[in-house]
Amino acid sequence: TIKMANQGLSYEGCNFLRQRLVLSTLSGKRVRIKNIRSKDDDPGLRDFEASFIRLLDKVTNGSRIEINQTGTVLSYQPGLLYGGSIEHDCNPQRSIGYYLEALLMLAPFMKMALKATLRGVTNNPNDPTIDLLKTTAVPLMKKFGIDGEGFDLKVVKRGMAPGGGGEVVFTCPIRRTLKPVQLTEPGKIKRIRGVAYSVRVSPQMANRIVESTRAVLNQFIPDIYIYTDHMKGANSGKSPGFGLTLVAETQNGCFLSAEMSSTPQGQGDPVLPEDLGRNCAKLLLEEIYRGGCVDSSNQSLALLLMTLGQQDVSKVLLGPLSAYTIEFLRHIRDFFQVMFKIEVQKPLEDERKGGDKVLMTCVGVGYSNINKTIK
Amino acid sequence: EEEARGAGDSGNCSEEETDDEDSEEESAEEEAGEVRNKPEETEEMSEEEMEEEEGVLRWKEGLQQKAAEAFLRHQEAAPNLRKLVYGAVLEADNSEDDEEELGGLFRVSRPQKSRKAQANAVDCSRFQPDTSHNWDLEEMLDSIRDCFVTGKWEEGQDAA
Repeated sequence: TIKMANQGLSYEGCNFLRQRLVLSTLSGKRVRIKNIRSKDDDPGLRDFEASFIRLLDKVTNGSRIEINQTGTVLSYQPGLLYGGSIEHDCNPQRSIGYYLEALLMLAPFMKMALKATLRGVTNNPNDPTIDLLKTTAVPLMKKFGIDGEGFDLKVVKRGMAPGGGGEVVFTCPIRRTLKPVQLTEPGKIKRIRGVAYSVRVSPQMANRIVESTRAVLNQFIPDIYIYTDHMKGANSGKSPGFGLTLVAETQNGCFLSAEMSSTPQGQGDPVLPEDLGRNCAKLLLEEIYRGGCVDSSNQSLALLLMTLGQQDVSKVLLGPLSAYTIEFLRHIRDFFQVMFKIEVQKPLEDERKGGDKVLMTCVGVGYSNINKTIK
Repeated sequence: EEEARGAGDSGNCSEEETDDEDSEEESAEEEAGEVRNKPEETEEMSEEEMEEEEGVLRWKEGLQQKAAEAFLRHQEAAPNLRKLVYGAVLEADNSEDDEEELGGLFRVSRPQKSRKAQANAVDCSRFQPDTSHNWDLEEMLDSIRDCFVTGKWEEGQDAA
């Protein structure tokens, strides 16, 4: 066991930084990452990564972080998850969703319930938006027993890329153990909801999005409602933009989502709201084709919560695994020695339910939140 | 070129590497075809001319997309998905004895050879869509009809 305590894991490159640091923090295993953009003209960690590491430092106690002079080697010795009330300016190179994806994985295991006020970009084209995480990740976590009054994710101010200026408040209760889950049957989609948002452009943009989106989705189901959200003044951030988040809800409470944001000002050809609505609707169809009980952007969150659950079998049906998820599975094996049973489920010949699905099975490690104060 | 391939091909385990390169080349051709069909580009241009005109960045984008598609196809065709995911681990187990010790503190967890390409790609959870799916086609729309309450129900299940 002394050997275990001394052992750390070693990786290369800047990719998958968040998964590595999150799993290191949860498992208590130290991690060393070298060759971070070492062949790049501008080598080493970027500002957004430094900002992420600072956030991690804020929610933990006693973490030791060492970075070499060029920023190409990072050593991380995790401390204890502390939580409590924190504020953080998230570097606008990435949206708050980038930071939140990691925070969602850590929050249930803090000593004190987390209340995080995060400032920066709420919506950009590449990271999950707050709207998406709120409608998909939060209900998913509830299935594992993470729920209660204090569980909320709220956009206070919307800040589009590149300027940002948005603000998000995330509160999460703590749990001592997680429930194992059996999510093997998604059920049929009963309704589609969405948010069409716009800031610093005509509020008419959101209405134009809604119309073109409905034109595509009405071919499948009549129960569609897309809210329009036009934030003004101090709540509208620093950059103009608009976008759409769509969520398909099944009878068994599974959520499949898709989203699209306008091109950030000064970063390419502008997009018409009609095209954005239509294309985003098609992305949702693609996500429905992939299917499963968890949407593609939350696969790794589901797999983590299965891994950390009580020592019992958890099963979750997913669509095809994303490259990001496959790497996450490998990391779970490295940090928690858990390997999943992975079975491909092909749809029956006369079934029109999209592509192949993947049934993921594991026995939880019985992770217990030792940080949690017992009342 | 290696670096530009992006996050798409993380699933390659070493045995299947040769296969995979083939399919990536195939999709390179497909991709070029697709790009050419876009209205804003003239059809007469040769591939090389296009690459020059579009600049290096555009070419890299194509690569990433291709890699993502090759990866998806690979996953669909994989007889054993577990091997695709954990394939490298078998190797790592075999070579456990000659694991590199770094200053006695850190253990190299596995051979890094096949993952060089994605090691410094963008850290992003989004799963890019399969661009071969054309959601304007009726047959594509039909392929998901039964996912909705409005679709066909299996016996023993009730629409209520």
